[in-house]
Amino acid sequence: MEELLIFGWLAWIFPLLGALLTPLLAKVGDRVRDYGAIFFSFLSVVSTVALASYLFKGHVDWPLHDSFVWLSVEGSPILNKINAGILVDPLSIIMSNVVSIIAFLIMVYSLGYMKGEEGLTRYWFFMNLFIGNMLLLVLSDNLIQMLFGWEGVGLCSYALIGFYYKDSREGWKRYWVGEGDEAYPPSHAGLKAFIMTRFGDLLLFVGAFIILTFAGTLNFVELQNGAISRVPVWALLPAIIFFFGGPIGKSAQLPLMEWLPDAMAGPTTVSALIHAATMVKAGVYLVARMFPILYATKLASDSSTLLLMFYFIAWVGGLTSFVAGTQAMVSRELKKVLAYSTVSQIGYMMMALGIAGLSVEFITGYVGSIFHLMSHALFKAALFLAAGSVIHATGSRFMYDMGGLKKYMPITFWCMALASCSLAGVPILSGFWSKDMILEASLSSGEYMLFLLALSTVIVTSFYTFRMIGLVFYGESAGESHEHHLHEAPAIMWAPYAILVAGTVVLGVGGYFVRDWLIGSFEYLMISLHGEYISNIAEESFIAFLSTMCVAIGFVPAYIFYIKRLKSPDLSSKLFSSKLWTFLAKRWYINKIYYNLFVYPTIAISGWLYENFESKVVDGLNYYIASLAKQFSSKIRRIQTGDFNDNLTLFLLGIFVAVIILRFIILGVS
Amino acid sequence: MIAFSLLQIIIVPIFMAIVIMLFGKILGQKCGWLSFASLLYVTCIILDEIVNLPSIGYSLLESYSWAPLVGNFTLLLDGVSGIIALTITLLSLAISLYSIKYMEHEESFDLYNVLYLLYYSGMVGTVLSTNLAIFFLFFELMLIPSWILIGVWGTGEREKVALKYFLFTEAGAVIMLAGIGGAYMITGSFDLFVIAERAAFMSKNILYPIAVLILIGFFVKMAIFPLHNWLPDAHAEAPTPISALLSPAMIGIGGYAAIRILYTSFPTVAFDNNFTFILTLLSVITMAYGGIMAFAQDDIKRLLAYSSISQMGYMLFGIASASIIGLTGSLIIYVSHGLSKAALFMISGVFMHNLKTRKISELGGLAPKMPLTAISTLVSFLGLAGVPPLVGFWGEFFIFSGAMYRSFNPIDYLKLVTVIVGILVSILTAGYGLWTVRRIFYGEPNEKYRDVRDPEWEMLIPIVAMTVLAIILGIYPAPLTSILSHIIKNLF
Repeated sequence: MEELLIFGWLAWIFPLLGALLTPLLAKVGDRVRDYGAIFFSFLSVVSTVALASYLFKGHVDWPLHDSFVWLSVEGSPILNKINAGILVDPLSIIMSNVVSIIAFLIMVYSLGYMKGEEGLTRYWFFMNLFIGNMLLLVLSDNLIQMLFGWEGVGLCSYALIGFYYKDSREGWKRYWVGEGDEAYPPSHAGLKAFIMTRFGDLLLFVGAFIILTFAGTLNFVELQNGAISRVPVWALLPAIIFFFGGPIGKSAQLPLMEWLPDAMAGPTTVSALIHAATMVKAGVYLVARMFPILYATKLASDSSTLLLMFYFIAWVGGLTSFVAGTQAMVSRELKKVLAYSTVSQIGYMMMALGIAGLSVEFITGYVGSIFHLMSHALFKAALFLAAGSVIHATGSRFMYDMGGLKKYMPITFWCMALASCSLAGVPILSGFWSKDMILEASLSSGEYMLFLLALSTVIVTSFYTFRMIGLVFYGESAGESHEHHLHEAPAIMWAPYAILVAGTVVLGVGGYFVRDWLIGSFEYLMISLHGEYISNIAEESFIAFLSTMCVAIGFVPAYIFYIKRLKSPDLSSKLFSSKLWTFLAKRWYINKIYYNLFVYPTIAISGWLYENFESKVVDGLNYYIASLAKQFSSKIRRIQTGDFNDNLTLFLLGIFVAVIILRFIILGVS
Repeated sequence: MIAFSLLQIIIVPIFMAIVIMLFGKILGQKCGWLSFASLLYVTCIILDEIVNLPSIGYSLLESYSWAPLVGNFTLLLDGVSGIIALTITLLSLAISLYSIKYMEHEESFDLYNVLYLLYYSGMVGTVLSTNLAIFFLFFELMLIPSWILIGVWGTGEREKVALKYFLFTEAGAVIMLAGIGGAYMITGSFDLFVIAERAAFMSKNILYPIAVLILIGFFVKMAIFPLHNWLPDAHAEAPTPISALLSPAMIGIGGYAAIRILYTSFPTVAFDNNFTFILTLLSVITMAYGGIMAFAQDDIKRLLAYSSISQMGYMLFGIASASIIGLTGSLIIYVSHGLSKAALFMISGVFMHNLKTRKISELGGLAPKMPLTAISTLVSFLGLAGVPPLVGFWGEFFIFSGAMYRSFNPIDYLKLVTVIVGILVSILTAGYGLWTVRRIFYGEPNEKYRDVRDPEWEMLIPIVAMTVLAIILGIYPAPLTSILSHIIKNLF
């Protein structure tokens, strides 16, 4: 029973080892290094699949758990023992399998995509380091160890976004991100990503420290087993709101979403792995990890104030999914469409988790979120990889430089079209099922505002998805001049995304069974948290109908303007000059506000303070004090007459005073 | 176990200094290796004693009779002073290797080594002594050689800067001396533990001014706002190896001494809530101020200097938390800041030595030319920012959790807000750190530096060693935390 737990350790130790060995293998040869790196990521697939066998055993006493003492701070009331350990339950098994399998496919794809790039040793090193840290994050049994993975993936993200750190101006069409006054070179984008997520992490620290102060532990199992109840409600609510800052930053939710669209400056493989399929889901994962703990607290306390934390996360998710979706509608860059879409879809997952906390049937929302996480990882990774092939072929990240690619890249077209349908929620692909589950949860929880918001996001999603397909594959070929470059991607590149698309189709065709199987896997939560689940076919079909209608509503204009191009593209350029269009294209001005509120002022204020306060006031004061001493001494030197009589008089006077002091002050008067 | 080991730690470098002074002209460049050898010997002694610590009850005391009026010449190596002394020694060892290459074209290298060793003895003596009078002597021994080192081998307006450094620190030392005198007046002893015994029954009102006077001396050394102004000048203009030693090793001693002296001898003051609140406030201001100032710098050494001010704010933050975990964190920050900042100063020296510039705006695109330097810089800045898996993470995690714990027990909303602000302010560290990395190493390569490469091994090894050590201690900090906390828990 327990013998397979060792794979919970090995799953992340293998890729970390692989990362360490990469520079050494590079000494042997480039091919050894490349295949070595892929081999280690394959070992983590083997490990997580071994863990997955637990899911198919009859009865398992979740969670499985293994730990040892990592360090100790003797005598301290908090943190006197910090353990390192792994936690294996359906959540971590599903997540770790998603991570390792998609990571492996992307590693294989990298062989073709990154061929001939400079700095490949660095690339493989950070990719394996990322996989290791991500699996460490997923399998940790306590928050502190998890933070190692959490910050580790952040570091890898920083390093890989800035992979083309030379920021070459000539290659800006391919390597930079954004345009106009929002064009950023890769190293800027990496820095931005790190700082923004780090700020979220600091908020998480605050929350974690408050929990730690009262509960005395940050171990998930101990918190679940009642330690969380030691935190009084008045402290728990702010603690959790702060705590959510971490997931919000990591998963690029409002108001910390601005880093992710710019993170597209990294290689496409990195965008696919880190900024679509895995790392950005870490926030969702952490919220899902905390969910049973928080839900149990809600059950235990009578006060409704704790519901606020679920409302908070639900609204953050809901609003993000809408805002990011609208931004994707006007984006001119292929990868940025996908990035906004990622933010938007993660918003769905967050919303689902928030909504789950509000109702007795929490399992629909909870499982919906995890199901959507899985299916989104599949189709979004596929979309990114296919987009990578397209960018590779055309040499530009702007969709207006593409067009008419359908006949040149048929395999890529079909893969991308299927994955897009899944993203839009076309029945019966996996995105359809998982999205419907979220919609169903929001309807049955009675949060109609959120339900409507989610529904309108479906329209938006459908529009931007098919707009993207239209711009890239239909219409006139914008790249006529270099037509001879246009060719289908090699098999080592298209095979990985074809597999991912096959995955999304299989999950979709068997969607209803997958959904039931997932609910069955999480049944233990339902028992421990007194949840209930009643299958309501009528409601499910109603929602399926509604969401399909919404997809159609979004599809029609996209079809007219971008696929069939029935109306001339002039209309879209007219739209482009409109205020609304600019507002969306400028990302609701959120990005601009941040720069004007935080970045530029910090630099300006520091310069100003340094010039005026530090140099003039503080330093000036010091020199003023020094000059006082000079003035004083120039006054007092007048008594230094050099006359022997004066000297003798003062000398005797001095002795007299000294004697007085000695006699009366030090020895006392008596 | 070696006889008189603690005395040896202080005496051997002084003895070697005398040898180099006498035969320096004959030895020439070899005196660098001699001082390296003596420091290596001392490192071995300290390592041996620290490994033995658990078997002898975590404290090794050596006492020699000295001036009867002042008390015994007492040296104590326990978990806390051991770790600090080891850090200082390791840094001095690494930097003495670095100096050999860095100072090769400078004049009177022998005299440099004499002063370097004396400076080392001063620092380590300050850390090991438990008698306040002797503590003060070593405190001065640490000041005078460093003053000469800045004044003679420094850059820019070195004489003026050295004088400023001397006057500031000396003023602090004199105020501290007043405090030490006060402690002697009321207890009749200079010994920390005797003072603790006798002061335990005294009223807070008497102890308060004494503790504050002593602390002001430390605050000058730590460059706590608004007493920080000497530091950017001194660090920027000192010869780079000395900056690398001044910054992390020496100024942090102020924090160490605050823990040792304040918490051992004046616990009633140290645990006073109003007192800790003021310290917390000061520390947050220092953290923020140093961080913001770092953004405005174009001179990399000056940037690092302001970063040191900010880091000392973190150390004080942990000290002010008045909790076991916070104090442990504070000392871990000493270690982590020591490793990272020493590496960073040495890297700035690489630019000065090999590229002949220290202006960030003149650098750029260097990552492909000097990959190991780039990695070390990145890792060291992340260490300052407290990013795992670097040891700085534990330091920050501990001081923050300790401060949060203390602001809830008993609950004090004002302090709570200050602590939260302090936590959020630490984004500045990541900000200026990574921004600096970007400006130096990323971007289009500068044609001027086409033939630049990673530095020679004498300079590279110390840098990489510091970086690797920071990673190892971050992944496996158990020895550090258990040795430190074993002593710190006795203070509570």
